[in-house]
Amino acid sequence: MSVQAITEQEKRALKSEPMQLILLAAFLLASLYAVLQGSAYRQAQVDAAGSFTAAQEDRNTAWRDRLVAVENGTTAPEEDRWAGLAMDVSFPATIGPGPLSDLAHGVSDVKPATSRVSLWRSVDRLFGNYQVQSPIDTAAGAFDLAFVIIFIMPLLMIALSYDVLSEDRELGRLGLLLSQPISVRQLVTARLKVRFGAVAAIVLIASLIGLFAGSTSLDIGTRLPFMGLWLLVAAAYFLLWTATIVWAVSLNLKGETTALLLAGLWIVNGLVGPASLSAAAESLYPTPSRLAFLSEAREASAAAYKSQADIMQGMLLDHPDLTAENYSIPEYIRTAFLVTKTVDESVVPILSKFDEVQAERRRFLSKLQFAAPSVLTLQAFNLAAGTNLERHIAFEKSVRDFKQAIMESVEGKVLVGERLSLAEYDALPRYDTIVPSVVSVLGNVALPIMFLLVLSTLLGTIARSNLDKLQNHLRET
Amino acid sequence: MIKAIIWKELLQYRRDGRILAVLFITLALGFAAAFNGWSMVETQQRERQAAVASDRTTWDNQGKKNPHSAAHFSRYAFQPTSSLSVFDPGLTGFMGSAIWLEAHYRDPATLRSVEDAVEIQRFARLTPAWILQVFAPLLAILLAFAGIAAERERGTLRQVMSSGVPPQHLFVGKAIAALCIIALLAPSVVAAVALAAYTHDEVGLPSVGLRLTGIVLAYMLYIGAFTFAAIGISARVAKSKTALVVLVGFWAASVIFVPRLATDVGSALSPAPAAADFEASLSAESSAPFWGGSEEAQQRRADVEAEVLERYGVDKIEDLPINYDGYLLQASEEFANGVFDRLYNELWGAYETQSDIVRLFSVISPTLALGNISSALAGSDLYAHRHFADSAELFRRDFVKLLNEEMIQNGGQDGYGYMSDNDFWQQNPDFSYTPPSLRAILSNIWVDILVLLGWAVTAFLIASRGVRFSFKQEAMA
Repeated sequence: MSVQAITEQEKRALKSEPMQLILLAAFLLASLYAVLQGSAYRQAQVDAAGSFTAAQEDRNTAWRDRLVAVENGTTAPEEDRWAGLAMDVSFPATIGPGPLSDLAHGVSDVKPATSRVSLWRSVDRLFGNYQVQSPIDTAAGAFDLAFVIIFIMPLLMIALSYDVLSEDRELGRLGLLLSQPISVRQLVTARLKVRFGAVAAIVLIASLIGLFAGSTSLDIGTRLPFMGLWLLVAAAYFLLWTATIVWAVSLNLKGETTALLLAGLWIVNGLVGPASLSAAAESLYPTPSRLAFLSEAREASAAAYKSQADIMQGMLLDHPDLTAENYSIPEYIRTAFLVTKTVDESVVPILSKFDEVQAERRRFLSKLQFAAPSVLTLQAFNLAAGTNLERHIAFEKSVRDFKQAIMESVEGKVLVGERLSLAEYDALPRYDTIVPSVVSVLGNVALPIMFLLVLSTLLGTIARSNLDKLQNHLRET
Repeated sequence: MIKAIIWKELLQYRRDGRILAVLFITLALGFAAAFNGWSMVETQQRERQAAVASDRTTWDNQGKKNPHSAAHFSRYAFQPTSSLSVFDPGLTGFMGSAIWLEAHYRDPATLRSVEDAVEIQRFARLTPAWILQVFAPLLAILLAFAGIAAERERGTLRQVMSSGVPPQHLFVGKAIAALCIIALLAPSVVAAVALAAYTHDEVGLPSVGLRLTGIVLAYMLYIGAFTFAAIGISARVAKSKTALVVLVGFWAASVIFVPRLATDVGSALSPAPAAADFEASLSAESSAPFWGGSEEAQQRRADVEAEVLERYGVDKIEDLPINYDGYLLQASEEFANGVFDRLYNELWGAYETQSDIVRLFSVISPTLALGNISSALAGSDLYAHRHFADSAELFRRDFVKLLNEEMIQNGGQDGYGYMSDNDFWQQNPDFSYTPPSLRAILSNIWVDILVLLGWAVTAFLIASRGVRFSFKQEAMA
């Protein structure tokens, strides 16, 4: 029996064995479900960001129109004293869905995605009430393609292959098979090529369907480079599991022992590893208390309210140019500005501490992620998808910085109670969405991919050596 | 006879290094999880106590302020973390822990700890409940998958039969031996409970003893179901390796895949509103119809005015013996409360429908039923959170009314110029929360209890009949 014949036999078996067919069909359905729900998720993200921005732009247009009316004389200044009110300046800021957020939701389902940057809101309230997602849903995690590849794919590969050699040995037909011009290595390779080929084909098809189904706001051309990186990560993870399974098979253990060994590795990789690493990261680098952050902001707010006169006096001493001769805007507006400004300043240390802790955790995990390939793969998937924690933290920080920039631009106008001119309003900065760059993502996923490939090569080499030894052993016996 | 079978099985387990390794790892993870849970709960409780104290101090010392300005600043309700969360934190990290009780608006709970978590925490969380839900059934499978099939493969089943052992005795003996080994995980649970007693649970769950008993019984049913199922499958299939693959497949589906799939389907069929839409609806529907410039809003305010003038028998607002601005504010609150009830009932309704859909899936995954029971009894499920949020909302309404009454009764004709001082703030009550009774919780999870019981009974019958079937098959062979 030749390699060709073994391959043909495997192909026939794949089509005719009900258990294999059921497993592959279930995997196909799970993959398709994941990409279709992912595209719906992404569409919802796009719609939410679009409708939010549109509503804010409508509001800003109305605000600007009133100012235009005053400047061109259509409305007398005294008829609309609120037109051009500097305190009322607000702009939308959105993170925008990551390029492949449909394939790996990452942390995009729990972090804020939009903000109405307004001077009325201190930094602790910049992101509004976004926490209305279902806690049941967020606790369970997403059934996205990343989950399917990281969890389901290896388990399917194990189920399809754990007895690739042991079954023949246990049935006493391995010797007969090897009496043909074929080696153990060729036998294993030919069988796994067919079985794993089917798995790889399903992942590839599902990813490509995902690429098209999820292409709503960005065109396929924009998503394609990210998809390339995504597929590289998926391929490296697939190769790692292939090598692991071949290595386990090459140990020439009983079928059930091979299955147990592989199931154990799957559990350590997918469950024990991530749970232990996340617990370690969070215990070693605890974030400051969110409740303390809230209390600090409230205390600062109350204190600023009480001492607003002193704060204003201090401001005027620093900026004598701000002295208002005829303050026509109600006092509470200036008070609100000073209070939010004071709160913003008071929470800076805590926010900096949050950023530091998150950075320390990332550094910690960037080293220890190599202990669990699932962790490495998940983080690489999220990077390629633009749904990683780092991007969301950067968004939150950029929104705070943007608010600071707006506040500094209009501070004088608020304090002296003057309206903004149209030219001043149009010259104010607008929020620029942070778009992930392929080059930076590549820089970040290159090492994980390399590591997975090196590990695969190492395991593959050991497995090859084991299989050759087995071949010699079988020949001798 | 049963005793002899138990001893023989225990001896075999002791010699099996794989079982000892899994047992040791699970136990170590259980202890780590218990300590991790205790550390988390203890921190949350300490932070809450500090936040409650800070909130009170800030409120008491806000100085001279209009009561309505104070109502805008208002106070916070901080959700207590139950001591049993050391064992099962349930949805705690995915629901907010603080609710702002401001005037004119019902805020959702904010400050979810999941937002500060590392990305990989979404894979798995190291808690005692998670360890038992995931690893205890796996240990049960490992102990029992070969129970009958291996006896048949080795030819020892025939010897057992010939020695007059009835099938029920063999089943009971093997089941008890496996359960004895699983019971060795108990110290990690005891550690979690003992550590829970050392937390600062200032609220106190009602009927903690009964809750703990319920939790223990639920986990016993769950582990029993997996043990019986493993024996049943082992008795029905020809080879132990087939039993292993079928059981590990069932475990992976039940514990890992179905819970994610179920919640995903639940949220697709009963989606929660988008955060921005929900916030916009709350603001628009509670404010503009009362305070806006529409005819409807003007009529509402006119009706309030007519009603109050009639009540006090005067013709003009200026002649009222009360502060009319405060009166109007309270009328607007009462109008808005109806809107909040409607919109939040819709939101909670969406969550609860999701929960019901997930519950349907517990027919194919006992882990879902157990998860519901466990988190409900630990006081960390959706119901507990809604109970807290609704209690906080009732307090908010009373508290805002208290502040409006202060303005109405003492503000005279000062309008918004009326000021209260620290003497008044210091008399204001704190939010006091009583968790739901055990009876209320049981009425919410009785279906889950029935489903879990159904799983245990069905698995028992499968095992019992399976062993009888294997005896018959062996006799006919």
